[in-house]
Amino acid sequence: MTAGAWICLLSPLVGALVITLAGTRISRRTAAYVSTLSTAVAFAGALTAFAGLLGEQPHERHHISTAWTWIEGGSYQSGLSVLVDPLSVMMMLIVSGVGALIVAYSIGYMDGDNEERRYFAYMSLFVFSMLLLVEGGNLVLLLAGWGMVGLSSYLLIGFWHERPSAIAAAKKAFVMNAIGDATMALALFTVIQKTGSLSFGALGSVHGSTAANLIALGLLGGAVAKSAQLPLHTWLPDAMEGPTPVSALIHAATMVTAGVYLIVRTHVIFEQAPTVQDVAAGLGAATLLFAGLIALVQVDIKRVIAYSTMSQIGYMFLGVGVGSYANGMFHLMTHAFFKALLFLAAGIIIHSLAAEQDIRKMGGLKRMLPKTYWAFLIGSLALVGIFPFAGFFSKDSILAAAMDRGTYGYILWVAGLIGTFLTGLYTFRLFFIVFGGEPSPFAREHFHALRRDVVGISMAVPVAILAVLSVVGGWIQWAPFWHPIEDWLHVVAEPLVSPKDWQEWTSSALALALGSLGIGAAWLFYGARRRPVPRLAFAQRTLEHKFYVDELYDAVFYRPSSAFARALTAWVERPLILGSGREIGDDTRDLGGWFARLQTGLLRTYALAIASSLAVLAIVFVAVK
Amino acid sequence: MLGPNVAWYLCVAAFLFSTGALGVLLRRNPIIVLLSLEIMLNGGNLALIGYSRHLGDGAGQIFAISVMAIAASEVVVGLGLVVAMNRKHITLDVDRMNTLRG
Repeated sequence: MTAGAWICLLSPLVGALVITLAGTRISRRTAAYVSTLSTAVAFAGALTAFAGLLGEQPHERHHISTAWTWIEGGSYQSGLSVLVDPLSVMMMLIVSGVGALIVAYSIGYMDGDNEERRYFAYMSLFVFSMLLLVEGGNLVLLLAGWGMVGLSSYLLIGFWHERPSAIAAAKKAFVMNAIGDATMALALFTVIQKTGSLSFGALGSVHGSTAANLIALGLLGGAVAKSAQLPLHTWLPDAMEGPTPVSALIHAATMVTAGVYLIVRTHVIFEQAPTVQDVAAGLGAATLLFAGLIALVQVDIKRVIAYSTMSQIGYMFLGVGVGSYANGMFHLMTHAFFKALLFLAAGIIIHSLAAEQDIRKMGGLKRMLPKTYWAFLIGSLALVGIFPFAGFFSKDSILAAAMDRGTYGYILWVAGLIGTFLTGLYTFRLFFIVFGGEPSPFAREHFHALRRDVVGISMAVPVAILAVLSVVGGWIQWAPFWHPIEDWLHVVAEPLVSPKDWQEWTSSALALALGSLGIGAAWLFYGARRRPVPRLAFAQRTLEHKFYVDELYDAVFYRPSSAFARALTAWVERPLILGSGREIGDDTRDLGGWFARLQTGLLRTYALAIASSLAVLAIVFVAVK
Repeated sequence: MLGPNVAWYLCVAAFLFSTGALGVLLRRNPIIVLLSLEIMLNGGNLALIGYSRHLGDGAGQIFAISVMAIAASEVVVGLGLVVAMNRKHITLDVDRMNTLRG
């Protein structure tokens, strides 16, 4: 069982190394196959570990396998170890399973791109990093995986490095994530200072509310940055500069879900700092509304989906913030299915329309891409949470859990319900604009269908599998009737809330009604075009500028620091640092020139100098004597 | 102690040394410069011998003999240089040999 976990962890690393070291000795297509195979093997390893755990009693499901002691100093010690328990196995299955589908899809999507091998090496590295994050047996390895995920995302977002915008987006993602990494490292230092250890068990022995609050706050900072929640969210929409499968991987499997995992994994410390946990839930609720509103006016197909991810991660934060860990993880899983589906379907659209991403140029694609139409419809319905698609089961349970959390919970609950309306509206606005109506002139001119070869098949099959998962994936748990995920994760994280059946039903009914209302509104405005889209110039401008958060950060952080840097350049760098180098050189040369003039080369001058010096010395000698 | 007082010897030595020094400083012909150097050395020798006699210590005389030996070698090198310069048709003027100017 731990063998399965090790295989799962190391296989993508081996894949990345093989592709890197083989270089041009293997063809681009072979590199793609190596990468796909390595993630598929990882999935097989995860399945083995899963089967191993299934055969055990719930309380036995906790194994740590240590390869060697990695860091040792004084009484502190941490090993290179993997942790196999229900939570990590669930994440392993999602990461490697969805990851394998996305990498397989890339075979077709990236076909013919320059530097395909580099792309696939990065993809394997990305999956490895995320697996290290979720399998790491202590907080150090978790942090290592955390940092490597940031690095891999930087490499992949900036994959098309000839585009300045891609480089800027990659840097932005890296800087934003670095802020979270820093707060997280500070939290870990505090843990070491308090307990002398970085094992997950050590978190339980942190006492004293100040320390617990600080640690929880630091960890929350990391989670917020990685999961693109307010206020560190600005990198996620820009990350759409990367290739579409990368977006799918970031959103569905390997990156933004890490924050949710972190909170569940370290829930002990959050429970000792309930205020911070409330902050997490509040940030989730704020983000889900914020992102939902912005998604209403975006015109780039990938950005709409990106904002929907922020919104859905907001739901997960809300869920784990109120202490309903299993529901947060359940939504993470269903979201991985339908978000990967939506991105990959969007990738097919972009691929078929000569890399066009602007939805204003699309339209009437239903007839051109009938299968993608159905896949996208399934993904959209699952995202809105319409029965019987996956989102229905997971999202509504989160709302029900919020209801069971007192007054604060009701505020969150209302926010979540408004969010479902927004979800319906922005999702189906996108859907109707892209697929509804008559084919646009642009679409007619640039459309070319997928071929029935490796390229076409490798793109179609993952989409089909994900579409099936988006339909049936939610049925794993239907809270009023059966709840295997709740039972599965119970041994890792006991929920703080236990919603009653009436709360489940109320939330489901209201969420379903509001979601349908959103879809209906979208149909009125964008599908049937019965009503003109309401024009609220101010609101629209605000939303198009994403609530001016980028502008705010620009004004508060970027401009002062660049002004400071310019001032330092003008007053310190140029006159002092650069100037001193030049002036020291000049002065030394002047001094040398001055002394050189003493060297006349005239013998008699030297003799005179010696004689007169001697005379002076003699006089001094006599006088002093 | 026979002969004049040591002060007389020292006066003659100082006169010889100054004459040589002025020759070195004022004359431009290297041969004359070398001659003047010899005069300076001999002034020094005279002082050494004068003191040696005055103090009844033979060391000064040994020094004077050493100086003579070294002066002889020096003259050999110096005159050799002068001959070499003459062969290369270089004007015998120390003020024009200023290649070492900085």
